[in-house]
Amino acid sequence: MSEKELGQKWDRCLADSAIKFGTGLGLGIVFSVVFFKRRTWPIVFGTGLGLGMAYSNCQNDLKSHYVLHSKVAKEQ
Amino acid sequence: MPLFATKLTLAGGALYVAYDSGLLGNGKEGSVALGRAKDAFPPAVEEWMKYFGFQLPATPKIEFSPLDAWNSGVQKSFHALSVAPSTASDYTKQGLQYVKDLTK
Repeated sequence: MSEKELGQKWDRCLADSAIKFGTGLGLGIVFSVVFFKRRTWPIVFGTGLGLGMAYSNCQNDLKSHYVLHSKVAKEQ
Repeated sequence: MPLFATKLTLAGGALYVAYDSGLLGNGKEGSVALGRAKDAFPPAVEEWMKYFGFQLPATPKIEFSPLDAWNSGVQKSFHALSVAPSTASDYTKQGLQYVKDLTK
């Protein structure tokens, strides 16, 4: 893949990581306050979930250039 | 029971809002959501400032951009290396000319 494309993928990765980290943190705080009596572990769990989702998205995005994509033709 | 239902509604609502605004989707949706948040941030800050009645100090403008400067060291070094032969020959000619002028 070209360097420009790679740079764009990395930019998307960073932006997505920030979004997922913030979302995980936010949802973790909400669940911690609402259900788990303000304990810390739901916040940490939510943040970890967010980071994991970001890692998985990054991995798929960077791999997608080298993976064969196929389309199944619809039967007419 | 009603308290639990309220809590469930709150948490479920937060989860639905996150899902609906594309915060839990793939990389492309995430960067679109970040762009939307960046665009919405200054007007929101202005609204809050008007509501509370105080002015935040203006953010200083920084001319330096890390994105542009990331490869600048490598680029400058290799540019210098590529023009090194012609620059060296120019300086040699100038030096020889100077010496010739001295001996005239």
